This record gives sequence, structure tokens and C-alpha cells, in this order.
Amino acid sequence: MVNILENKLKEKISSLIEELEIIIGYSESKAPLKINPVFIKTKEEIDRLIFNNLCVNNLATYSYYLSADTKGKIGIILKPCDVKSIIQLISEELLIKNKIKTIVIGCNGIIDYKKINKAVNYQKIISAKLDENNITVNTIDKSFNFKLKDFFAQKCYVCNIYDNPPYYDEFIENDLKLNLEKKKEYEDIEEFEKSGLEKIYKFWEEEFNNCIRCYACRNICPLEVCRDKCIAQLDEPHWQSHKINSSEGKFFQLIRIFHLAGRCTECGECERVCPANIELLKLMKKVNQIILKLFDYRPGLILDMKPPLLTFKNVEQNIKDEELI
Amino acid sequence: MNFINEGSKSLNVKNKKEDVKIVAFLCNWCSYAGADAAGTSRLRQPEDIRIIRVPCSGRINPLFILKAFNLGADGVLVSGCHPNDCHYSEGNFYARRRLEVIKEFLPFIGIDKRRFSYQWVSASEAQKWQKVVINFVKIIKEING
Ligand code: SF4
Ligand code: SF4
Repeated sequence: MVNILENKLKEKISSLIEELEIIIGYSESKAPLKINPVFIKTKEEIDRLIFNNLCVNNLATYSYYLSADTKGKIGIILKPCDVKSIIQLISEELLIKNKIKTIVIGCNGIIDYKKINKAVNYQKIISAKLDENNITVNTIDKSFNFKLKDFFAQKCYVCNIYDNPPYYDEFIENDLKLNLEKKKEYEDIEEFEKSGLEKIYKFWEEEFNNCIRCYACRNICPLEVCRDKCIAQLDEPHWQSHKINSSEGKFFQLIRIFHLAGRCTECGECERVCPANIELLKLMKKVNQIILKLFDYRPGLILDMKPPLLTFKNVEQNIKDEELI
Repeated sequence: MNFINEGSKSLNVKNKKEDVKIVAFLCNWCSYAGADAAGTSRLRQPEDIRIIRVPCSGRINPLFILKAFNLGADGVLVSGCHPNDCHYSEGNFYARRRLEVIKEFLPFIGIDKRRFSYQWVSASEAQKWQKVVINFVKIIKEING
């Protein structure tokens, strides 16, 4: 089958490659259900580009460091939700707008392969095949056929920008549209909160028992551009021990969360890469919910708007002092 | 910070009722002076509070508050100049936003919101400081039960 969308993408990239020093996109991976990021410099390599429901990675992650290391302009292939990371970086003056060419592709949802792993009982998957509405997954002794719509990433169920990106230099329309029953934003957070303090405390204590402080969550995040100076790894001052236990893992994560408050675009990359399967997105979403409530702000949508914690108002409408007298 | 329990216990450790540990971060220009004035005017206050002086409430990194909880504090109190009265003119405005986010977030990791409070106490409000401390300690003791 000729893939119309991929052809459109390759055509577009061919027309742009002269003006760009490097282009970041998606390519096939040997591992089933995975794709690889690819860094393209020459015309010959353009054929390696792909785009499908497995293109989960948020390639904006490479933008900050790569743009610091290149003289020319960088092209990045992004989904409409990924472009939010770029907007956020530009709005914080961490990226220069003219150094990045955002090539955004309309999206019809991405697969959460952790859900698939679970559905096949964590059997080793040896191959997988995608079509428009289904995915066939083969383990050593079984073959499964799943409906795509049950296996999309959390964020797809609340997405309203899949064919309408908030910012782009080039937009490639996708004839396939995201067609999902929408969920209410933050409904999972509200549900979780109902379980009460004691249970919540226990829940996180157990989740963070699994944290091995690999820093994958930090390293994959497009907005965490402070990796070289990470407070969790400094010895002077020694804010945090390198011990591995629930309390230290949680402490590290809380630092991350506050560094991302009012910035996180809920791309879900941190949760995707966490080898311990910790529900990191839940925490990020809660902070965003608070930020929305207090400052009426959603990260990653407006190019020239400062994140709320980097500014203030003399009179804060939504903050009430609670006097202890 | 050797005044806190040895070893790093998990967040939200419950100490005994009669032995609560509260960490307070006070800005140098208003609240610390206010607390000092309360001392010199011999206003009686509970002794459960350990005060750390910082240049400005805007200097308080959320990390400080979380670290205090992580080391076993039962409560954390922040106090700075009243809005519009900051010595550096806007430090407490930035602080107010951050502190409010922390306060709202704590229950999501299982910590009672009342264990954290931020207040505005000026250098001349020794009596207000006394009330704040008395009430905060009372609340913490109630939660510890
Ligand atoms: S990716 Fe997961 S295991 Fe690794 S440091 Fe982050 S939370 Fe811990
Ligand atoms: S914190 Fe996680 S969800 Fe938020 S922007 Fe970073 S990687 Fe994405």
C-alpha cells in the first residue's frame, strides 16, 4: 500500500532540506512497536522517514541541545501536541524561533505500547503490524488483534488540536482524523483524589519504592534543559542523597515537578520512558490543574506569554490569604 | 539541620503529640524582625518552632519546604513581608504564587494541606507573630492527634 501521508512528508522534506542543516524525524526500528528517531542531513536519507501511530516520541526533546550545537536551522517533525513543547521553550527564551523549522503532521492518535504489553500479559512481542483501525501483535505462541481506539495514549483522549496545531512553520494535513470518544480533562485526577490522604500517601510510597533514580524521566523531557546542573546530582550543596529508596525517589520527583510547574505540556514522555512504570503523568497533571485554576494558564499554547511562576500580579484574584489569627 | 530526626524518614512523618517539629522560614526584613520583637517583648510562644532566616520570602525554593517535610517535619511555616511591602519590592509576589501551588499540591501526595502555611507578618507585628505561632502549633498538634 502506498502511504500517502509519508509521501507528502517526504516531498515536503525534499523541498526544505537545502535550507536546513539537520532534520529530526521518525524511522523504522528493529524492535516491534517501536520507532527510532533519525537525524537526516542528506537527500539520500529522506527515504528513511516514516509516520504512523507508533510515532510516540516527542522529538522536541532534541531541540534545545541540538540548536545550541548547530549553526544553521534545524527542522523537526512534530505531532500537533509535540509543538507545544517548542512553543513553551520559545516563550521562555530557551529556543530561538528562527533557528527551528517546525514541520507538523496532522495526527490520528498514538499507541501507548505499555497498554499493549499489558494486554498480551507481558509476553515477549516478536512482531506487530498496523493498519488503519487495528493492530496485530504476535507473541511467540499467540496472535492478538486489537482495535487501535482502545490503545491510544492518555493524552489522545483529551486532545483537541490533532488537526489544528497551535503553531507551525509547515503543516502536513492527515486525511485520517482522530476519532475517539473524548474524556473529561483531569477526570482521572479527580477520581484519584477521592481515595483520601492516607491511601494517596501509601500509593505514592509504593510507586516510588520502584524508582531507581535512572533520571530517564528528566532526560527525556523537552523542557528540562538544566540536566548539566541538576540539583539531584550535585554534591555541593548536597541537597539530596544518592540513596535509592521511596523517600528519595519521591523527593527527586517533587523537585522535578516544581521545576515544571506551569511549563509541562503533558506530552507524557516521562511516564513513557520510566522503567519502573511510575505514574508520573498523574503528578504533572495535578500541578497543571492547579496552575489552570489559579492562573488560568495552559502551558505551550501562546508564544509570547511568560509561564505564571515567572511573573506575578499585585492583586491575585484566585489566591486568598488564609490568616492564622 | 541536625535538629530533625535522624535518618531521612518519609514525608509526613507523625511525631508524638507533645513533640512536634515545625520549621519556619522567615524573611530577614519583616517576619524575622517581628519574631525578634515578640521575643524581646517577652510574648510567650510555644517552643516547637525552629526558625530559619532567609533574605526574602522570594528566596524560598519549594525544595526547602519539601526537604523539611522529607526530613520529618510535622509542619512548615513560611512568613514574609506583606504584599506591597517587600524590601526588594517584588520578592513576596513571586513567592505567593509558588507557595500557593505547593499548598494546593501537598494533598496529592498525601500530606494534609494544613501542615503548610504561609503568612505575612511585618516587623512591627510582634503580637500577630505570637498568634500565628500559637495557632499553627495548635493545628499541627490536632492533626498529629
Ligand atoms: S524514570 Fe522512573 S525510575 Fe527513573 S528516575 Fe524517573 S521516576 Fe525514577
Ligand atoms: S514533565 Fe513529562 S509530560 Fe511534562 S513536558 Fe516533561 S516529559 Fe512531557
